[in-house]
Amino acid sequence: MLGYALRRLLTLVPTLLAASLLVFLFVHLIPGDPAAVLLGDSATPEEIASLTRELGLDQPLYTQYLLWLGNVLQGDLGTSIFFRIPVTAVIADGAETSILLALMTMVWIVILGVPIGVVAASYRGTWVDQVTSGGAMLFASVPTFWLGLYLILIFSVTLGWLPSSGYPSIRDTGGLANLRYLLLPSFTLAAPNAALIIRLVRASMLDVQREDHVRTARAKGLAPWKVSVKHVFRNALIAVAAAFGFTFAALVSEAVVTETVFSLPGIGRLVVQSILRRDYPVIQGVILVIVVLYMVINLLVDLAYARLDPRVSLK
Amino acid sequence: MTAILTMGRIFRGRWLATAGLCWLILVALAAIFAPLVAPYDPLEFDPLVRLSPPSQEHLFGTDHFGRDSFSRSLYGARMAIVIGFGSVVVALVAGGLAGMISAYFTRLGHVIMRIVDVLMAFPALLLALVLMTLLERSVVNTVIVIGIVYATTTARILFGMTLKLKGEVFVDAATCSGAGHASILFRHILPNLVSPLLVQASFIFAFAQLQAAALDFLGLGLPPEVPSWGNMLSESRIYVTRASWLLLFPGALIILSVFSMNLVGDALRDSIDPRFRNDIKGV
Amino acid sequence: MTRPNTDASDLLLDMRGLTLGVATPDGILPVVQDLSLSLSTGETLGIVGESGCGKSLTSLAIMGLLEGTPVRVLAGEIFFRGRDLLRLSPRERRAIMGNEMSMIFQEPMTSLNPVYRIGDQIIEAIREHRPMSRRAARDRALELLTMVRIPDPAGRIDSFPHQLSGGQRQRVMIAMALAGSPRLLIADEPTTALDVTVQAQILKLIVELQKDTGMGVMLISHDLGVIAETCDRIAVMYRGRVVETAGARELFQDMRHPYTRGLLDSIPEADEDVDRLSAIPGRVPTLDETITGCAFHPRCARAGAGCDSDQPALTAFAPTHFARCHYPLEPDA
Repeated sequence: MLGYALRRLLTLVPTLLAASLLVFLFVHLIPGDPAAVLLGDSATPEEIASLTRELGLDQPLYTQYLLWLGNVLQGDLGTSIFFRIPVTAVIADGAETSILLALMTMVWIVILGVPIGVVAASYRGTWVDQVTSGGAMLFASVPTFWLGLYLILIFSVTLGWLPSSGYPSIRDTGGLANLRYLLLPSFTLAAPNAALIIRLVRASMLDVQREDHVRTARAKGLAPWKVSVKHVFRNALIAVAAAFGFTFAALVSEAVVTETVFSLPGIGRLVVQSILRRDYPVIQGVILVIVVLYMVINLLVDLAYARLDPRVSLK
Repeated sequence: MTAILTMGRIFRGRWLATAGLCWLILVALAAIFAPLVAPYDPLEFDPLVRLSPPSQEHLFGTDHFGRDSFSRSLYGARMAIVIGFGSVVVALVAGGLAGMISAYFTRLGHVIMRIVDVLMAFPALLLALVLMTLLERSVVNTVIVIGIVYATTTARILFGMTLKLKGEVFVDAATCSGAGHASILFRHILPNLVSPLLVQASFIFAFAQLQAAALDFLGLGLPPEVPSWGNMLSESRIYVTRASWLLLFPGALIILSVFSMNLVGDALRDSIDPRFRNDIKGV
Repeated sequence: MTRPNTDASDLLLDMRGLTLGVATPDGILPVVQDLSLSLSTGETLGIVGESGCGKSLTSLAIMGLLEGTPVRVLAGEIFFRGRDLLRLSPRERRAIMGNEMSMIFQEPMTSLNPVYRIGDQIIEAIREHRPMSRRAARDRALELLTMVRIPDPAGRIDSFPHQLSGGQRQRVMIAMALAGSPRLLIADEPTTALDVTVQAQILKLIVELQKDTGMGVMLISHDLGVIAETCDRIAVMYRGRVVETAGARELFQDMRHPYTRGLLDSIPEADEDVDRLSAIPGRVPTLDETITGCAFHPRCARAGAGCDSDQPALTAFAPTHFARCHYPLEPDA
């Protein structure tokens, strides 16, 4: 298992290098002197000259890339123009919010997506199925920010049950109770993804139901629920697990919007604000981190896949 | 005539998808005839009727500048159609060509598909955001950026489908009869991919609406003066507690249109060659 | 509901007038019509016919596995040990399935769940009907694997299905079917998907197990050769009806239905020239084709007056030999 993970990690290296090259080139695609771009409008000529030397901007592009990559591998993603602190520190500040938001979103997706998908498959063709499948597609058609704004309107403004924006760290006063700030955002983020999982669970359950081994299970005299859970759902899980990689990508995209709607101090809002502030080192750093994370998640999904399906050999 | 018959066959018994199709036709009509139907100029300020709720004079109410939301929504339909079709064209042409050529010329294809892999390592909206930072906010740039994002998935899908078709007898037959590469790709393989492409197009159309709305909302999409549904929502977000109609109507229009397009895409997908059915991931 | 037990007390299965239909947009099409067959303890009944003749659907109807297919029981009774299965509640039926009555299927490659170890799948079958500890069930599973002659059962019990060959998987299926000590084993084309050499081994295993346990076996196959080697009694089906039924020896010495003859002639023999292979002309008609009279008449060389209009009745040629033909074959001189 560990050996396989390491080998898979190695195959990711070329893609990672190519992605890092794109991220690196991004700064050079912006019109103007890269050093001036990286330092922002307030930079003095001396500062620009100093950064030019430091990053080797007077040298050929490939030397610059290798220098940059060397820094990145040492954990140096540059300095934020806006905050005047290392990019890694800026990202670390947003990490708690984003990680907790992601975890809570996953909980929503699982507790909503899986049972509803199973119910839709079990009542295939009936009105239950039509309502849940149609409802899932409707939810997947809702813009994330619109849902977020409406939930704020209902639960924060009208009912006053939940906070509408911000998130104090769980290390602050309030502790774990601060998680209530993430209830609406995580639901907002989960809704369209849960909708996809509902449709996926339903479709793969229906696929598995047609397989011969399900008939064998029924021939044993097992009760229908046992057949559904132990044989149909367990096998359908293989296809669902494979989709969690895509779900992560969708989650990142929608987290950018959701964190902006709810003014959460997370990495998603950091991206948007950095773009609006033209804080290029931060944009570069965040995107690099997300791409690496995305690849690691896909690797984990592959490993989970192999554990769920004994036919997949880890070689 | 045969087109109508085919449509009839696809939509028979699918009343929800049929309703979706009707809605899309209505949106298209609204887009075409917006100048004739709109009761007000969508850009005209009228401070006297700021933030007035829906009424006889203003069906969808007015925004913080006193502009008529109904008229803006009609012009917003134009933007929806332009963004949808534009993104579909960019995605299908760029992605379709990349995918087909990659599957046909294997060595070159290896390189192209690696590039696609790298682009797909960036989550969709993130890629769009990064590209938008390099470009001016404009309709054309928004279309190009969203198109490029979906070109990657389209390239993957077309790559797989072309590979399947490449092994078929009729391609060998065409090669034997001396057909050139271009002729085989575009006269023999492409016609078989038209219906799957149509399905893919409908899903891209739907997703493009959501992406465009998200970009508008983040202030990185269409220029703020353009009356798009996304911009309408984006501008009104600070007034929603006082004027919830500003959230309701444009949002409902986006949802209905995306939902309809997804339903239509679903119906179309069920009607295509089963070999390609699972290649196209919709909702 | 119990049926007055007038026949021999060892009557295991008795189907009376079983009629199955499939619902289509054009109405209900019959797939099995007025089927009456019985099977005694310790007996092996073979059902033979081309694909689509309704033999597999009959077995699924007996087993109670039609749910999930578009096929429904329209009429008839299926008595199993004196009880009409069609009148039992789903729970009562499940108590019989995999316990007193079990089934093995055609596709050993796909009939086992790929994600569970074979031992666990057998244990599941054991514990469903006999509450016992996992440990005891595992011992019983090892016993069953030994009975079906899996080499190295202790080493194999924790294998996943994909690690076994087709023949071994079918042995596992048989072990699973034996988990509840069944009175009746239904084997639906158990050897069709296997290599010829493995086919013979599996058939031999079924025959031996039947001798050891005294259970009744219903063997379903399109291959009259397979049936001939193993069965005491044979029923030939064509398009949803039994066209001839007799003891195995009786049938081969004195076959009456032209279709039975055709099936026999289509078995290639080792010393036979391939050119002489005579099959039945024509093809099996599809379900939606309506054929009046005897369903076989379009393909029958002996068809004559009345064959295209009147359904022939099942006629007795001997106390245990029946055939459904207007112009039956004469006994061989």
